[in-house]
Amino acid sequence: MSASSSPMNSAALQDELKRIEEKTRTLLRVSTSRANVAQTPKQVIWTFNKAKLYRYIPVVPSEQRHKVPLFLVFALMNKPYILDLRPGNSFIEYMVKQGYDVYLLDWGAPGIEDKDLKFDDYVLDYLPRAIRKIKAVSGSNEFTMLGWCIGAILSTIYAALRPDDGLKNLILLTAPLDFTDKKAGGFVRWVNDEAFDPDKIVSAFGNVPGEMIDYGAKALKPVENYIGSYLTLWDNLDNPRIVESWHAMNTWVTDLIPMAGATYAQLIKELYRENRLIQGTMVIRGERVDLSRIHANLLNVIALADHISPPCQSESIMTKVSSKDQLLLKVKGGHIGMMAGSGALKFTWPHIDSWLAERSE
Amino acid sequence: MSNESESTNLPDPFQAMTSLWETNLKNWKSMRDTSLDSWSKTMLDTVNSDEYSHTTGQWLDTYLTLSQPYRRLIDLMMTQVLSSLNMPMRTDVTSLAERLTNIETRLDDQDAKLDDILTAIKSVSTSKPATPKPTTNNSAKAKGAR
Repeated sequence: MSASSSPMNSAALQDELKRIEEKTRTLLRVSTSRANVAQTPKQVIWTFNKAKLYRYIPVVPSEQRHKVPLFLVFALMNKPYILDLRPGNSFIEYMVKQGYDVYLLDWGAPGIEDKDLKFDDYVLDYLPRAIRKIKAVSGSNEFTMLGWCIGAILSTIYAALRPDDGLKNLILLTAPLDFTDKKAGGFVRWVNDEAFDPDKIVSAFGNVPGEMIDYGAKALKPVENYIGSYLTLWDNLDNPRIVESWHAMNTWVTDLIPMAGATYAQLIKELYRENRLIQGTMVIRGERVDLSRIHANLLNVIALADHISPPCQSESIMTKVSSKDQLLLKVKGGHIGMMAGSGALKFTWPHIDSWLAERSE
Repeated sequence: MSNESESTNLPDPFQAMTSLWETNLKNWKSMRDTSLDSWSKTMLDTVNSDEYSHTTGQWLDTYLTLSQPYRRLIDLMMTQVLSSLNMPMRTDVTSLAERLTNIETRLDDQDAKLDDILTAIKSVSTSKPATPKPTTNNSAKAKGAR
């Protein structure tokens, strides 16, 4: 061993060992703890059964704020804080800073007593009540509704059934609405197989367990979800920005909630299999859902690499509605990455803001 | 001097090892990423096939069918145990929760009505600004009587 190089390399070795120790500690921390998510200040203004309606504390003076409040409706089977993941990577924080009066509906986790809840209940009991509260609190009779994934289905049905309830702008994100193509994506194929019986699942579990839904979502891209994600983390353990982002996303991905059994059965049978919504044959508490009754300004955002709701499921609504002011926005990214990924802040959010700002006065 | 010169010219085993390790790691990562990509494509084709749909559907159906008697048995046992201990059963809790939801629904309806009343009062008070009360003959008389 050389006399001159030994001390230097010994130090380098020690540094390397320290680095490995630090990486291991980071790995342990992010894989066993919850990230500090949903930090934008808010207050609960309404509750109903398990649902909560949040109002985010405005940071822009009232005279500079947009007049029309923004109502966010997320999917039923995941927590809605993906819209407020962490400071600097939060759609809600961004929109609050842009001067919107933002409201978020958290559906909560259904208990066994909620297993019979259907789309009918969510659309005609929960949404109108939450909207009434938003109108009362904001003092505005008009509102914008932004629905994401299943939340977009609910928003669309609501917009068709109650077109004159003050809905000024309707924003749909990755909306699974048209299931004409029975080969588009894994979900459609799986649930259309004759061996797949949603009633049997509901009968067995009551509510569909979050783990089962999670498995379905992850199995669409098994290698990326079960291996790739962890390898990305391992390769970047010394990059705090990527680690914290992974931690927050992993917290959300593993925060599972069940889906009300009757809603699940309705989703599979009436939408995925019978395609009733787009065909205009869906009936909600005796009322036919006629998409041509939708006349609110429409922004339909689809993700080009969406493997959960492929673009073909979201595009056709543009020709079904009566909205004179409508825009189909195609963005890069996947089902979640489009709104919560690194490109969201640069592209998706500013586009939504610029479209909405001039329609919120 | 000559000794020093010799020692500095000697190859550093740590450096060689580190360099070898880094090269191997880089090659391994590249190989890993390539194989993952190819594996990912294969798996995507697999999960998007009718065969996969049918197999998983069949598997799930079999599991649900076979587990049904056990679930029933567990439900029956739980019902008997809880009933013998004079404890509420799932159906009792469920029915209580449903009643609470019904109460909450009625409360929310009342809240809506209250909001409507408050809005109506506000609109009445803002649409009719307070005007000075005209002096009537009666009041003038009353004042004069005093």
